[in-house]
Amino acid sequence: MTGTETENSLDAASEEVLADGNEERESELRLPLARIKRIMKADPDLNLASQDAVFLVAKATELFIESLVQEAYQYTCQSRKKTVSRRDVDNSIEAIEALAFLDGAMD
Amino acid sequence: IVTSLPWGSWLIFTAMSVTTDVPDDELTIPRAAMNKMIKELLPNVRVANEARELILNCCTEFIHLLSSEANEICNQQQKKTINAEHILMSLDKLGFGDYRADAEAVLKDCKAMAAKKRRKSTRLENLGIPEEELLRQQQELFAKARQEQMLVEQQQWQMLQAQAAAAQQQQQEQQTIDDDEDYS
Repeated sequence: MTGTETENSLDAASEEVLADGNEERESELRLPLARIKRIMKADPDLNLASQDAVFLVAKATELFIESLVQEAYQYTCQSRKKTVSRRDVDNSIEAIEALAFLDGAMD
Repeated sequence: IVTSLPWGSWLIFTAMSVTTDVPDDELTIPRAAMNKMIKELLPNVRVANEARELILNCCTEFIHLLSSEANEICNQQQKKTINAEHILMSLDKLGFGDYRADAEAVLKDCKAMAAKKRRKSTRLENLGIPEEELLRQQQELFAKARQEQMLVEQQQWQMLQAQAAAAQQQQQEQQTIDDDEDYS
């Protein structure tokens, strides 16, 4: 990882956001950067990633969760059930082209 | 074994065992973080555990997919480090272009805040003084310190010499007096 200055600044920035409620709330990351980085590094072929890159992966993953959850909920509503089931998530995966990579990758 | 450990260290032990036991290729994002997000997205909606488990694993797959794609782009550009642009390009390429705008915006916000904090900071490393200048200042300080030290040592030496000379002088005078006394 390069750019220790950026690293410290980004960490500090997200800390500051969490502490001061008046600042931009959208910058608040829900997923811990360290964990994201570890997951990325589980791939031995992966090059080093900059702090910005890890940050973007984290943010993209959050957006991914949002999309998947919202999509699944649509199916839940359609089925008139009260609980979002695994089936609902499966259907979402099948329906969205970009999620084709998940087919068969799951249990 | 647990009861013989002090309470505090037992808590640390369990907290650490959560992520240090798991082999890296089985790592997932923290469940609690994901659950919190789901709760915020669908307040008052029940979500089955199996559904959560599936979403969790999908996230891991997503991270790997995104990283691999970015890695490829990075190699194609013959760069050594995956940067933000590589990730953004990957999002487009993989059909997640609608994430791009949000992601970029957040990155900009974060940087702006970081810059703002840096401006407020008076820590030496954040003042923006280039390394060569800092090095030069350091050398100056060392040189000054060496000079001062030399001066101190010189003074000490002179003082010692003076003391020695005085002592010798006194001894000689005493000798003369003694000599005189012999003759009286």
